[in-house]
Amino acid sequence: MQAEQEIIDRLCEKFPFLNSRIHVQRQKRIFTGHLIKEEFEQVIRYLHDEMGFYKANHVVGTDEGENLGFIYLLTNKEGIILALKEIAPKSDPKINSMTGMYPSLERHERELVDLFGAEVQGLPEGPSYPLPDGWPKGNYPLRKEWKPEYFDKNTMTYNPPVNDNDKGKH
Amino acid sequence: MKLLQKAINWATRKSPWIIHYNAGSCNGCDIETIDALTPRFDLERIGIVQQGSPRHADILICTGAVTIQTKERLKQIYDQMPEPKYVIAVGTCACSGGIFDGCYCVMGGVDSVIPVDVYVPGCAVRPEAIISAVQKLLDTIDERKKIKYVM
Amino acid sequence: MDENKERMESRVNAENKESREGTEGMDSKENRKNQERNRVVIPIGPQHPSLKEPSSFTITLEGEKVVDAVVGIGYVHRGLEKACESRTYIQNLYLIERVCGICSHTHSTAFCQGIEELAGITIPRRAAYIRVIVAELERLHSHLLWLGVAAHEIGFDTLFMYSWRDREKVLDILAEICGNRVNYGINTIGGVRRDIDSEMMQNILKMADYLQEQLKYYLDLVMTDQTLSARLVGIGKLSYEEALKFGVVGPVARAAGIMDDIRIIEPYAAYGEIPVKPVTDTHADVFGRTVVRIKEMLESLEIIRFSVKNIPDGDIAVKAPKRVPAGEVISRTEAPRGENIHYIRSNGTDMPDRVRVRAPSQANWQGMRHMLQGQYLADVPITIAAIDPCYSCTDRAIIVNSESSTEVMDWQGLRQYSIDWYKKRGIDVSQVKIPERKLYV
Repeated sequence: MQAEQEIIDRLCEKFPFLNSRIHVQRQKRIFTGHLIKEEFEQVIRYLHDEMGFYKANHVVGTDEGENLGFIYLLTNKEGIILALKEIAPKSDPKINSMTGMYPSLERHERELVDLFGAEVQGLPEGPSYPLPDGWPKGNYPLRKEWKPEYFDKNTMTYNPPVNDNDKGKH
Repeated sequence: MKLLQKAINWATRKSPWIIHYNAGSCNGCDIETIDALTPRFDLERIGIVQQGSPRHADILICTGAVTIQTKERLKQIYDQMPEPKYVIAVGTCACSGGIFDGCYCVMGGVDSVIPVDVYVPGCAVRPEAIISAVQKLLDTIDERKKIKYVM
Repeated sequence: MDENKERMESRVNAENKESREGTEGMDSKENRKNQERNRVVIPIGPQHPSLKEPSSFTITLEGEKVVDAVVGIGYVHRGLEKACESRTYIQNLYLIERVCGICSHTHSTAFCQGIEELAGITIPRRAAYIRVIVAELERLHSHLLWLGVAAHEIGFDTLFMYSWRDREKVLDILAEICGNRVNYGINTIGGVRRDIDSEMMQNILKMADYLQEQLKYYLDLVMTDQTLSARLVGIGKLSYEEALKFGVVGPVARAAGIMDDIRIIEPYAAYGEIPVKPVTDTHADVFGRTVVRIKEMLESLEIIRFSVKNIPDGDIAVKAPKRVPAGEVISRTEAPRGENIHYIRSNGTDMPDRVRVRAPSQANWQGMRHMLQGQYLADVPITIAAIDPCYSCTDRAIIVNSESSTEVMDWQGLRQYSIDWYKKRGIDVSQVKIPERKLYV
């Protein structure tokens, strides 16, 4: 676990705000806490340019209650995965696209737009993915408050119950 | 005209042309359907030929739980097929939506979109079951009625 | 290496000759079309043997070369991840297995590994070896499937039938061990559900011997036959630097020289105790991918033999808790198509909080778009088939933008166009003879 600890030490030295927000979970896994957009962009730029994290495997979207979380999985040449987390409020979920540094993320970031309602700025032009055409706007299936049982597939409309008494009937 | 109908039935029965469509499946049933063409099972020796275009096909083999995205295309293919036409729903997902029933993009089984003649459950369906389904279907063509077989 | 150089040179010469000749030899309709600078061709999603999944490609052409290709997928998106959040872990096991019918064991292994890590349990060694044996059998059947499909794409139906017949032997063994030919269901949280007895082990070794002969023969065929090389060499190039930049995984990356096998980088199950030799190539094109896959199959046979001979005795499963402690985990396995990542987060109940499945084909789409640029339209089917896309893994949609005509082709049409295009240039793969051999044991 020495290589992982060295990476953490170097990052904490460069970015003091990471102290106590980054830890080694197990061999070849480093997790960070949630970073806001500005902090996140500094760290990811440094990881890409100076620390040899040349590949982004994926970006996972999560629902954190009031906020949306975005976990970027970055890999370096030794196969160590660093899970770098970004957070943005649901009311204003604007983040910047990382496809400039990691072109393979394009499709994954497009998924975040469709399924979570994130606004990823700087994403190249392209068809939306993966939801079907005609999907009603404002419906983000992977948010916790969206329930599939209230979605009518024939009319493609979302009809949540009006008051609490109806919930038991569905 | 009765003679003509008999001739059509005989022609369809002797050498049906099949079209295969994946309406949103995991591919398991699709691979087994194509397996039915390979030397071990060999559909072609009983006269069945796989076609690419719906306009030349008699039987539509449909796999997968129908998703919202593929619903229109499935209807289009069914409409393009000339009469008499038959539909075989292969796999549990095609019969009823299977394990994906209730997911937000899944309409359900194939019969939520087009009428089905033969249901073949299984996950995934064995090629022998598919051949048997086609054979059972052909046996009913002579009687000119559409019977629902559950195997 | 010299032979390959010769082949590449002869191909380059053929290209130069063609551009010098211009549009000679083509009929007047094509002449007219080629005079327009850009053309729109839209092959519609297939009901055809190769891709087997609905998708739509939009390809932009300039003359006969592809300028851009956009894939419209998303037709198989079923909403699986949302469904996972309202099912227990054991119910999810069945759901995750059906993400893809061809690589189902890898998905269920990755999921089980993640849950076992969260719950802090270690599976017995015997169970780990059984997982490895089934994983390698799955790799064999998946690569044989791919070989047949790729052969079908270039018009070589004999090889298609032969490799799928060999594949039946692998499926027989899988049905004997696991009970089903597809969607094996052998994993459970805490180990495996069925044991392998000594008779099954003998059958596995017999099958491995038979397959070894066949695979050596296919490798020889691919590497020495001139006609096949003409169809495969120099197509779908993706260099080492480009492969790194686009983050491709699996045989596509290994054909470019990148060593990214998860069985070696981060050994899981019993791979830490089993010698796994890395298989890479330097051709960085469709030919390289073919060679890598066949050599990987030979390596899988070695792994299976080692596992069967050295499998330890013991239990096959430990008891797993219903409620998994809260935490998050990233679990990786090596699917036949590349690196498979699962992200699982639990909140202490018996249902997961978030499950994210990133299948290997999802990582290869950007690279594929780049690969298609600059190719002839006739090379599009084999290029797409060579990355072995698994749409159902990806989906759970080729646009060519031009100001002039729009042509709509379906996949069969595109495939036939590609076979005819090469026939006109004297390369007819259906004439390649596979001499009679005693193929049955």
